[in-house]
Amino acid sequence: MKKEVLSVTMSLLLAGGILAGCGSSSADTASTTAAASTEATEASTQAESSETNSDGKTTITFWHYMSEDKEGKYVKEAVDKFNASQDEIYVEQQYFPRDELMKQYTIGVVSGELPDVGMVDNPDHNSYASMGVFEDITDLYKNSDDQHFLEGSIGSCYYEGKLYGVPWGNNCLGLFYNKDLLDAAGVEVPTTWSELEDACAKLTTKGVYGLAISAIGNEEGTFQYMPWLLSAGGSVYDMGSDASKKSMSYLKELLDKGYISKECVNWTQADAEKQFASGQAAMMINGPWQFSGLADDAPDLKYGVAQVPKADEGDYASILGGENIGICTGANVDAAWKFVQWITGKEEGPDICKNIGRLSPRDDVDTTTIYADDPNWQVFAKIMPNAQSRGPSPVWPELSKAVYTAQQEVFTGQKDVDTAMNDAAKTIASLDK
Amino acid sequence: MKNRWRNKALGYCFILPAVIYMLVFIGYPIVYNWVISFQDATALTLRNTNRAFIGLENYRNIFADRTFIAAIAHTFIYTIGCLVIQFVLGFLFAIFFAKDFKLSKTIRGLVVISWMLPVTVTALVFKFMFSQDSGIINTILMNLHIIKEPVGWLLQGGTAMWVLIIANSWVGIPFNMLLLTTGINNISKDIYEAAEIDGATKTQQLFKITIPLLKPTIMSVLVLGFVLTFKVFDLVYVMTGGGPVDATEVLSTYSYKLSFQLFHFGEGSAAANVLFVCLFIVALIYLKTTTNEES
Repeated sequence: MKKEVLSVTMSLLLAGGILAGCGSSSADTASTTAAASTEATEASTQAESSETNSDGKTTITFWHYMSEDKEGKYVKEAVDKFNASQDEIYVEQQYFPRDELMKQYTIGVVSGELPDVGMVDNPDHNSYASMGVFEDITDLYKNSDDQHFLEGSIGSCYYEGKLYGVPWGNNCLGLFYNKDLLDAAGVEVPTTWSELEDACAKLTTKGVYGLAISAIGNEEGTFQYMPWLLSAGGSVYDMGSDASKKSMSYLKELLDKGYISKECVNWTQADAEKQFASGQAAMMINGPWQFSGLADDAPDLKYGVAQVPKADEGDYASILGGENIGICTGANVDAAWKFVQWITGKEEGPDICKNIGRLSPRDDVDTTTIYADDPNWQVFAKIMPNAQSRGPSPVWPELSKAVYTAQQEVFTGQKDVDTAMNDAAKTIASLDK
Repeated sequence: MKNRWRNKALGYCFILPAVIYMLVFIGYPIVYNWVISFQDATALTLRNTNRAFIGLENYRNIFADRTFIAAIAHTFIYTIGCLVIQFVLGFLFAIFFAKDFKLSKTIRGLVVISWMLPVTVTALVFKFMFSQDSGIINTILMNLHIIKEPVGWLLQGGTAMWVLIIANSWVGIPFNMLLLTTGINNISKDIYEAAEIDGATKTQQLFKITIPLLKPTIMSVLVLGFVLTFKVFDLVYVMTGGGPVDATEVLSTYSYKLSFQLFHFGEGSAAANVLFVCLFIVALIYLKTTTNEES
């Protein structure tokens, strides 16, 4: 009997060790670099000690997911500038890969180890606000003299009528095209779906796809599908409608004709950029944050940007992406608010946005003049005002899952367009919005 | 009498640090996970200290969820597929490398590299190799005229699971081989000599000497292999992310998805506990058999 007890306890511990090990290893993978997870612990210890340091400055932490080798460089530059600009507050900036950062917020809610200031992707802001990651800053904002944000952008910061952050940078999607390939094939930049299909037919050759998109099974897949859905007159709340189905059928047709690689279901937007940069795709759907990547990957590539082609009887449509900044629960609110106001303010905000490949979400900044010297940027500045936002809704992650799942089902041929879209509509209808 | 008690107390003192470590870092998370799995833990209630207990609701929900049932099936298919391949090949390699030929140790060392690589690296390499457009596997097969069109290995449910199994076996074979070689080397050479004198053939030696004497090693290799394979996360997360359309979703990735992407923390914990129970049963069987043999 005693032996039985012993063996049961031992198995419990053995299996348990495995589970615990599993947990920590998943943390490592999600962050993709082992280094990030050690940094995570460092960061959390810093978060706890967000107090006054030896030289009398208040130290606060700022978490973001701008990758260190790309946009992150400019975030660091901006933070250094802020630190040098005054002698009260010292900001420690900390990069996490996106998935890892989102997980850290969730864990932080329970453990209390949150940074003072945190960045969040705007469709997720509602979920994290409902979870209690961010402080309610409605009063701070109302009493401040800087209330110049575009309505569509700051809208994503509200949850149940209260404000949980301010927008930092916006982006939207456009059509990138390889000028040399288009010229060689004698193709004009397509503006409608039919033109796009024709262009793809001429541009697709052995080893080169006409168009690269990301249809991966996460938020990026939904984001990329939205311009097509909206231009056809569809909506995520009405996935079963003819208009919504039309957009899916159109993309499926491009895929079936071999104009888009079937691998797009595993591609992130960064993967699509790599295809385009290496000349394996003549066009791609992507956003302005890829400018810095393209400059690194293919400095000699001649490319232009245009609006995402519109449905033949529809209008141009694009989708609003971007990041908000919030003050986290339990933070040093005064110091954090000063930093938030500085980094999103009129003076520094627009430049920082430009560096990190975003458009300023402020209504007192004329983006067309800031980008007057850059025709590609101008296109995005022009698309921006009409770009539609996702949500805001605390159940957006689930809604988005229904959308990208439908797309994946259709693209991999598991379901036909009708079934997949009707199923998605059913799932979305069952969510309490 | 007093002395004996003191000896005992001293003994307990020695294991105390280990026990405390186990309780804090292993025991507490397990208990916490079980507690959450019985609570209404979602995005809205995460911060509440006293979340409502909802009994088995989370478990009922996940067992009503088709993706979850599929994830259990996938986990078992994956584990058994990997175990068979890596054990059979690992065993053959072990017998091969147990022979003392020139360079046998060096080559054995080289083979182990695949086991030492970070899983993320392996996953990325296999993802590229099996890519439809530019993967080397398609290029080779097309040049050999085995396939006419490039195959989207990771784009279809059936083949994606096989690619995962192959990638994991590539890592698992050297692991099996290492443990089995050690076991084989521990068998006394005298036995084989005696057998040879008695006129036993090589096949007879394998089935009558090597395998029976290796039984304890084989048991631990299989159990360890099962446990390591069953809790797979990194490989699936990097190579397919559970896709295409949940076709390679396994328990660990689905638990992660439920908790950290859809914010159904209660259900995510429940899924993790199902994984825990499966491993617990295997560990129990293992301990039962090994303690029986020892006594």
